[in-house]
Amino acid sequence: MTTSDVTIRGVSKKFGTNVVLQNINLDIKHGELLTLLGPSGCGKTTTLNAIAGFLDPDEGELYIKGKKVNGVPPYKRDLGMVFQTYSLFPHMTVHENLVFGLKLRKIKKGELDSRISRALALVKLTGLEKRYPRELSGGQRQRVAIARALVVEPELLLLDEPLSNLDAKLRHELRAEIKRLQKEVGVTTIFVTHDQEEALSMSDRIVVMNQGKIEQIGTPTDIYQNPQSEFVFQFIGKSNRFEGVVIEADADHTDVEITEGWVVKTKKQNAIGNDRAFHVGDAVNLYIRPEAISIMSDDHGHSGADSEHVRQKAVIKQMNYLGSQWEIEVSVKGQYNVQIVGPTIENSWQVGTEVLVEWKTSDIRLTKR
Amino acid sequence: MENLGYSPDQKMSPNLKLASKSKVKELRKYTAALLLLAPLLLFILAFFVVPMLYVFYLSFIEVEGLDISNASYSIGNYLTFFSDSYFLRSLWMTMKVSIYAVIIALILGYPIALTMAKSSAKVRGYLTLLVASPLLISVVVRNFGWYLLLVPNGVVDQFLMKLGIIDSPLKLLFSVEGVVIGLANSFLPFMVLSIATSLYNIDPSLEKASSILGASPLKTFLTVTLPLSLPGVVAGIVLVFSMSMSSYVTPALMGGANVPVLPIVIYEQINTLFRWTFGSAISYILLGVTLISVTIFSRIFERKFKEVFR
Repeated sequence: MTTSDVTIRGVSKKFGTNVVLQNINLDIKHGELLTLLGPSGCGKTTTLNAIAGFLDPDEGELYIKGKKVNGVPPYKRDLGMVFQTYSLFPHMTVHENLVFGLKLRKIKKGELDSRISRALALVKLTGLEKRYPRELSGGQRQRVAIARALVVEPELLLLDEPLSNLDAKLRHELRAEIKRLQKEVGVTTIFVTHDQEEALSMSDRIVVMNQGKIEQIGTPTDIYQNPQSEFVFQFIGKSNRFEGVVIEADADHTDVEITEGWVVKTKKQNAIGNDRAFHVGDAVNLYIRPEAISIMSDDHGHSGADSEHVRQKAVIKQMNYLGSQWEIEVSVKGQYNVQIVGPTIENSWQVGTEVLVEWKTSDIRLTKR
Repeated sequence: MENLGYSPDQKMSPNLKLASKSKVKELRKYTAALLLLAPLLLFILAFFVVPMLYVFYLSFIEVEGLDISNASYSIGNYLTFFSDSYFLRSLWMTMKVSIYAVIIALILGYPIALTMAKSSAKVRGYLTLLVASPLLISVVVRNFGWYLLLVPNGVVDQFLMKLGIIDSPLKLLFSVEGVVIGLANSFLPFMVLSIATSLYNIDPSLEKASSILGASPLKTFLTVTLPLSLPGVVAGIVLVFSMSMSSYVTPALMGGANVPVLPIVIYEQINTLFRWTFGSAISYILLGVTLISVTIFSRIFERKFKEVFR
């Protein structure tokens, strides 16, 4: 308990009969940027609100810096928070917005001024002290909101989908900026988002939530490369899915027949989900990421699979140029549409061209259907 | 010759055509809007603007007694009003009663509006109905109800005397207090609904932001909620004040001869004394005083809390 800034032990919450949080256990380390990621209604905002003190859990304990905070109102928790709608006080100037929390903490005039100018410099808004929120752009408003949250030097910084009201370019910019700020200030930060790209690019650790439960906690690479459940695999990134049936299984290997004459050999480490014991006859799902598939001209070699690769003939059905890469849809065996993402294509390719697609069997993820 | 420069006739003509075309379009749009509004505008013109202008015209005719043969145009009616302390006292009485009614409505109304703003949609609906209920009853019936409650040795007096809070009847009826109670009750809905509308428009996350920054609920109310609800408060005050200033039935029933507010005086002048033109002048004085007070009041507020009123 001494090493983590926030400790959540067995927290549950119901709204009426609707269970929104189910036995949440979480430790947030000092100085880390932790993201709560999940679809809407997964409980990520409820978890943040419980940490902030806007609602009290029905069960379980919540500790901030080792101090139990169950029942402690938000204004006594000494936190900083940035909201989706900026939530700047519209009747106060930028300066007055920043002074608000400092005055309540009885900070003296001299320090107050230096703290405000430091906070504004941090978010690159020096000189806008006298502006009212309506005189600022969306990005500037959100920066003021961040400065307002940081200027009080809070125990924790809570970010509730702070980028979702901004346009794509600004979102990118602020994403990098929040990450930089967080490292510069060193404040333990909890970030709530439904945007996986945001979560992957900003976080030290990600908590993936679904239906009021934690699905997986891990670093961004961990979450993306070693998803522990089907939900995590599907929610993060894109994937191609093949339905199949287990035709041979032992302790290390599982052979799956996708269709007649197409058998894919997988290993134990390909399995994800709770139940990883496969038996002959089990219905399973095979997943493969679009960027794990390579595509090449038909004349590159023989068609067929070795034990390390899956290789199939395919016909190009659609080609979309995305600037930095191509998004190609091919049809395998005339009935499976497969999405592929890759940086290059050959000039001769067009819709209807016969190609070869190939992926490593180690990139396959296998779950029970 | 090369003509790379600006050539007026070449460039202007298509522009002009375009402009006239769009003007025609705009005209058509206005015509349609005007036609739609025409019945209402005609109604207002015939039954409001014309009578008001006629009363204004009458107010400048000075008549001695009932003989209209020696009528003359002058501002004599206005001078008479401002030189007679009876009328000036009546004006002051009207303002006093209206200001008291505003204060009572504000004190009673703000907490109700706040409760409505914090309630769920369902509870809010019931509260709105409850708050608007005085508007569903005829003003005469409502005032007669108060009459029965407040009459000397009536329900209120007897109740308070039984409890030992007072020794003798309060004499609330036929007094300024009675009129204020009646007016505040009548116009409370306007105060509550104005404030509530203003409160509904406050982003709830502002109060969350204030709280997380360390402000107690009271501090949050005083620094965030209250200032941001001021437009509704000002609108409510203006509504209740103007309606109280022009009230006739409530002061007549609850105050009688003891509270001769201007609308009662106007009625007396016109219906009892047949001094139509003098009554017309008082009407315009009442209108003028109300408009000026309301304007000054809202200007002061808007200037003091500029950002809130944007």
